[in-house]
Parts: sequence; C-alpha cells; structure tokens
Amino acid sequence: MSMTTTDGTFTHPALFYRSQDEYADRTVAFVREGLAAGEPVAVAVPGPNLELVRTGLGGDARDVTFLDMTDAGRNPGRIIPGVLRAFADAHVRVRVRIVGEPVWSGRSAAEYPACAQHEALINAAFAGRPATILCPYDETRLAPDVLADALVTHPTVIARGRERVSEAYDWQAVVARYNEALTRPPEAGVLAFGAGELPEVRRFAVGRAASLGLAGQRLQDAELAVAELTTNSVVHGGGGGTLAVWAEAGQVVCEVRDTGRLTDPLAGRRPPERGQIGGRGLLLVHYVADLVRVHTADDGTAVRFYLDV
Amino acid sequence: MDGADGPARVRTGAVLDVGPLAGRPGIRARGEIGVSTRLSWENALTELSRRHSEVSYVELSGVRFVDVAGVTALAVTAMNLPEGRMVVERPPPQLPRLLDLFWPSLRRIEVTPR
Repeated sequence: MSMTTTDGTFTHPALFYRSQDEYADRTVAFVREGLAAGEPVAVAVPGPNLELVRTGLGGDARDVTFLDMTDAGRNPGRIIPGVLRAFADAHVRVRVRIVGEPVWSGRSAAEYPACAQHEALINAAFAGRPATILCPYDETRLAPDVLADALVTHPTVIARGRERVSEAYDWQAVVARYNEALTRPPEAGVLAFGAGELPEVRRFAVGRAASLGLAGQRLQDAELAVAELTTNSVVHGGGGGTLAVWAEAGQVVCEVRDTGRLTDPLAGRRPPERGQIGGRGLLLVHYVADLVRVHTADDGTAVRFYLDV
Repeated sequence: MDGADGPARVRTGAVLDVGPLAGRPGIRARGEIGVSTRLSWENALTELSRRHSEVSYVELSGVRFVDVAGVTALAVTAMNLPEGRMVVERPPPQLPRLLDLFWPSLRRIEVTPR
C-alpha cells in the first residue's frame, strides 16, 4: 500500500477493513509511511481503535498526535475545524497525514446524515491543500448504504490491500442527499421572534432547556448557541424566525427556522483567523453541541442542535 | 388598562448602558451585549483603546449576557493594543467560555471572575 504523495495535492482515501488485525496493519503502515517522510501525523479514531494503532506503533507512537474521535468528533460538524484543520493549520508549509474515523457502528440515525455530509465536505475544505486523510470504515459492522456513501465521498478506496479509484465519487451528491427536511415534534415549545425579541427568545430557550434537564455549562452553551442562531436569522435570515425546544432520546434539541437560505456548505466549519471579526457564530454552535443538523432550501433554513442532558 | 404594560411599551430588544469608569482608566457596562447594542459596545472599546496605556479595566458586573461578536470585539481590541493589558472584571459566564474556545492563549486579557 503506497499512498505517499509529495506534491501539494489533497488525498482522501477510504479504508475498508474487516478485522482488528487488518485495521492495525493498514493504519500503522500509513502512519509509519508519513513519519518516514517527515510528515506530522495525527490519528483521530474511536478509543478502542486508537489503542490498536498506538500498540501497533510501539515507540513510534510518541511522534503521533492521538485524539479520541468519539469525543473530539462527537459532533461531526466540528471535525473539520476542530480536528482536521486545527492539526493541518498548526503545521503550515508541510504535508500532513491524518487517520480520521468519523463513522462507527454506534452512530445514531440522527447523527449519520451529519457524518456523511462531513465526509463529503472534507473534499471542499482541503481542496488544493497538501494533506492525506485516511478514513477507515468497518466493513463487517456498518450498513451497506453507509459503505456505498463512502464510495461517493472518497475519490479512492482501499480494500483487501489494493487502492482503486472510486467511480462513484461525487461528494456534492451526498451533501444534497442528506440535506433532509427536518420535522418538529408536536410537543415542542415554539416561540416566534424578530430583532426586538432576541433577549426574550434566549430566556425562553434557557427556561425550556432547564425544565427538560439541561444545567450548568451545557445550559450556558445552549443559551449561547440559541443567541447565535437567532441573531443569524435577524441579520441574514429575513429579520426573524421561530425557535423550538424539545427533548429527544436523552438530549435537549433547539431548532431555529427562518426564511433565509444557507448557500455556503462550509459555513461554520472554517477556523477563523485570530483577529477576524465575524464568522464564529455557527462555528460556536458546532463546537459546543453534540450534534448539529441543517436543512436549507429556497423557502427557508432550519438549524437544530442537540445537547446531552 | 395599565399603560406601563400596554401597547405603549415598545419592544426594542437588548439594552446596554456603557461609559467610562470613575477614577480608573477603562469602561463599565450594564445590560446586554448583542446585535442591537453592538455599536455602542464597539464605540466604547474604540474609546478605551484610544486612551489606553499599560492597564485598562472593563467592569462587566452589570452585564447579563454577551454574544460571540461582543467577545470578538473585546478580544480584537485587546490584541491590537500597542502595549500592556486589559483587565475584565466580573464578566458574565459566556465571556470566559468564548475566550477559552476561540483565544485560549490571549495573554493580553486578564479575567477576574464574578
């Protein structure tokens, strides 16, 4: 297996694996190839797989950055800014190499569309950048349509030790397919707002979220995230919108709808420059939430975020 | 009908009262820092940086809420100070949270908690 690319192009292969041994062999070889070429290397995968790579690397593990993806990448929407770009931007002017595993068999039905869109958007976020991001997929435990999506979001795929071009590659198709309409449950508490009601809508969100069990830092994060989404609606989304808050499977969900359309698929996924004035609102929502889902169309946009109680 | 709570009361959103500190260099603010009060907040920060030397104080014990753009304005003002530091006193909880998320190594700002 050789995917070493020394020019400035971006390489984004999917790795289909069928056993722990195969996983360890392939990822460790990939990491060692990068270390040998002098590339900074990060491994961001779920905890048990992290240990497989660490053990396989032995002493070489000290030269590698390890991140548990179930924590750093719990919300798929923060993986590009918080994990991948954060690592790449810390090593400018050199090629970087990352093992990134954002999709695992425990991902929920609500999370998966955001995972697939994230995988697709990596191609846009890293176009023209000198990086190799290898994305492992567990062939034995992931659903066939998840594996089929991986062929659409990755230009190449490695299976049984052979790398081939994916004929199905078309990342925009996955962004569009998982831009799914979102339905509010009937029990959701809903409040309409305009520019004059931003403090009221924030207080409404805090009151509802607290009554549904959110507290402490998580409640403060919900208030901040609602403030950013409702402010976006006032400034960019037609001057106002509606907020809904409800509980779902151990989480509190807050959703803001307005009549705007989100045209930039990477909105909220670009790390800002330190001195940059705007562009942190949606990024904040991605950073603090456990999941963010978006649906945008000509007649409006809905952004909802989930926080564990 | 109670006139004070009736139709005559116009909802104008967040209110912010901001001005110079008495006896020390810097500003104090009271209310909320959000999209409808951003201009007066930014103007006050501009005035602070114009008068700044060594240490400026930003007293926020009366501020209930500050949004991302409000903290961004503060951080960018601090970064652009030619020298010295900014001491932010008793801010609402959003401020240390956002500084920690977006400017974890910003030494120019010192926060004294509530």
